[in-house]
Amino acid sequence: MIPRIVVLADTAAQVVRPVTREVCTAAQRIADAVDLPWGVIVPAASVTGLEDIPTVVRVDTLAEAVPDVRASALTEVCRECAYVMMAHTTGGGDLMARMAQHLDVPLAADCVGLTVEDQQVRFVRALYGGKVLSTVRITARPIMATFRPRSLPSLFVGENCAVTQTVSVELATPLSTVSQVAEAVRDRLDVTEADIVISGGRGMQGPEQWGVLEELAAAFGPRATLACSRPVSDNGWRPRNEHVGQTGRAISPDLYIACGISGAIQHVAGIARSRCIVAINKDPDAPIFKVADYGIVGDLFDVVPALTAAIRQLR
Amino acid sequence: MKIAVCIKQTADTETVPGLDADGTRVLTDDITWIINPHDESALEVALRQVEEYGGSVTVLALGPQRVQKALREGLAMGADRAIHLRCERMPNDARVTARALKPILESEGFDLVLAGQVSVDNGGGQLPQRLGVLLGWPSVSAVEGLEVDGRKLTAQRPVEGGREQHELNLPAVIGINRRIGEPRYPSFRNIMKAKRKPVIAIEVTLEPSQLVCEQLRLPPQKTAGQIMTYGPGVADRVAHLIRSEAGIVW
Ligand SMILES: Cc1cc2nc3c(=O)[nH]c(=O)nc-3n(C[C@H](O)[C@H](O)[C@H](O)COP(=O)(O)OP(=O)(O)OC[C@H]3O[C@@H](n4cnc5c(N)ncnc54)[C@H](O)[C@@H]3O)c2cc1C
Ligand SMILES: Nc1ncnc2c1ncn2[C@@H]1O[C@H](COP(=O)(O)O)[C@@H](O)[C@H]1O
Repeated sequence: MIPRIVVLADTAAQVVRPVTREVCTAAQRIADAVDLPWGVIVPAASVTGLEDIPTVVRVDTLAEAVPDVRASALTEVCRECAYVMMAHTTGGGDLMARMAQHLDVPLAADCVGLTVEDQQVRFVRALYGGKVLSTVRITARPIMATFRPRSLPSLFVGENCAVTQTVSVELATPLSTVSQVAEAVRDRLDVTEADIVISGGRGMQGPEQWGVLEELAAAFGPRATLACSRPVSDNGWRPRNEHVGQTGRAISPDLYIACGISGAIQHVAGIARSRCIVAINKDPDAPIFKVADYGIVGDLFDVVPALTAAIRQLR
Repeated sequence: MKIAVCIKQTADTETVPGLDADGTRVLTDDITWIINPHDESALEVALRQVEEYGGSVTVLALGPQRVQKALREGLAMGADRAIHLRCERMPNDARVTARALKPILESEGFDLVLAGQVSVDNGGGQLPQRLGVLLGWPSVSAVEGLEVDGRKLTAQRPVEGGREQHELNLPAVIGINRRIGEPRYPSFRNIMKAKRKPVIAIEVTLEPSQLVCEQLRLPPQKTAGQIMTYGPGVADRVAHLIRSEAGIVW
């Protein structure tokens, strides 16, 4: 039996990505309110990282399936569900939009929160680059939603209690082929999943200067990663998936440190939901200081190494 | 090749929207309307393709009368013709938009439908995938690199922690990210020429949406932070504040 409330796991290399646990928090809250069972669906026979989640359904045939095949197969698996939810990653948003169309229902996409009241579930979406929040309700079934990474706390059940079942589905003929393009060794967290994000802008003056930011990130340890403003990735100084903002990735880390970034409205749109923002800029009138919790006016090539030393001291 | 580019008219990214008193509506009077930035780049991709290999580019927009301005801008960039699916309001549910766009995309016999990855005002990045499902065509979105070789497309996109390459055959739907390239500015000559190009208006009735917006509100305003001038001890002080006041641990 497929639980009536399901979370579709986002996986990378047979491991469940941490964002999945955030969606589990939503599932558990809804399950408590509407009194329905919930579980996680994983698209492969062997995936690790869900040992404490009470109900796990493995769809054993989907590991290699391309997005269109995966979407039509999971549509059949989830057809009778009341709620279908997933993290709004590139793959998650994609899969859920396809499934929602197969099921001919709306999708509350890229939600930043939810409210549960009197068995009514409402989703919160950030509009206009986060400048407006909208509360929406879905009147179709299943109710489908994707959540922006780091918008909800992670759920840890804390015991090894998984009851696993396996289902098989028939796969349609794929409409496309997908291959992974090798990239530089991935030794850092993605910008959307890191707790701490160190970001550089045009004030960094060039790619060869990034060492100071890498050292600051290293001082914070493995939970920190790097990001950048748009001109930086446009110039090829940094990889494009580090670009944050209204046309880049929207992130909400615990700590965002902006170095040599002016704080244009399109940049701030992507980072305003960070819990704490630190800005380092030599221009006291830079707009980034308007959204910063802590600001240091000065030359970043002096400030960043000093901050790195101070952060290291506190480790 | 006959290419359609779906353009949404969105609020300029500089917009700071206001709300009406009961929080049901964004006040639109002061909004500067633009072509959604990703869609502009999608149009650029289409124009280059046709300039090199021949064909035509149709810009297509669904929405109230105001969206004709976006279509005119698309024509001024170099699109050959424009189709306006006119309705009372801009839908906020991609399912409704997709279903309203489907008939014209089918009847026109396009080889390739391009859209933006996401509309920057209130979109969720759903339309390209939904159109793919509705039309039974392959689709891929968030694309930053696209090559066309006869009827074969090769598209690249970043995903968390990597990069994917998709290969698909026409007809197909592709969602484009702005990072694929900046769009051109319309030349004066093209602006003049655009005035004589056709904008075909078709009335459509939107299906009711099952995604109900119940309330709009502005997020809490941030209070001014502590801004210090760099000098001895400042870095230490900020590090301590990050730890003790903001409660960040590392
Ligand atoms: C449609 C549209 C979408 C956009 N989307 C995005 C987006 O998603 N993300 C994004 O980031 N931008 C986006 N932009 C661009 C945005 O408007 C800004 O141009 C961009 O964010 C500026 O990047 P920056 O702050 O790195 O550079 P700049 O604005 O050039 O700022 C550099 C800053 O570095 C400071 N500085 C220089 N040297 C030093 C030093 N030695 N020490 C300390 N400080 C120093 C300067 O005082 C300045 O404030 C978009 C623009 C448009 C029109
Ligand atoms: N009303 C519309 N008319 C034409 N195209 C649209 C419309 N709404 C969305 N689109 C297209 O779909 C893309 C993704 O939109 P969305 O799903 O709203 O994020 C946009 O970038 C546009 O290319």
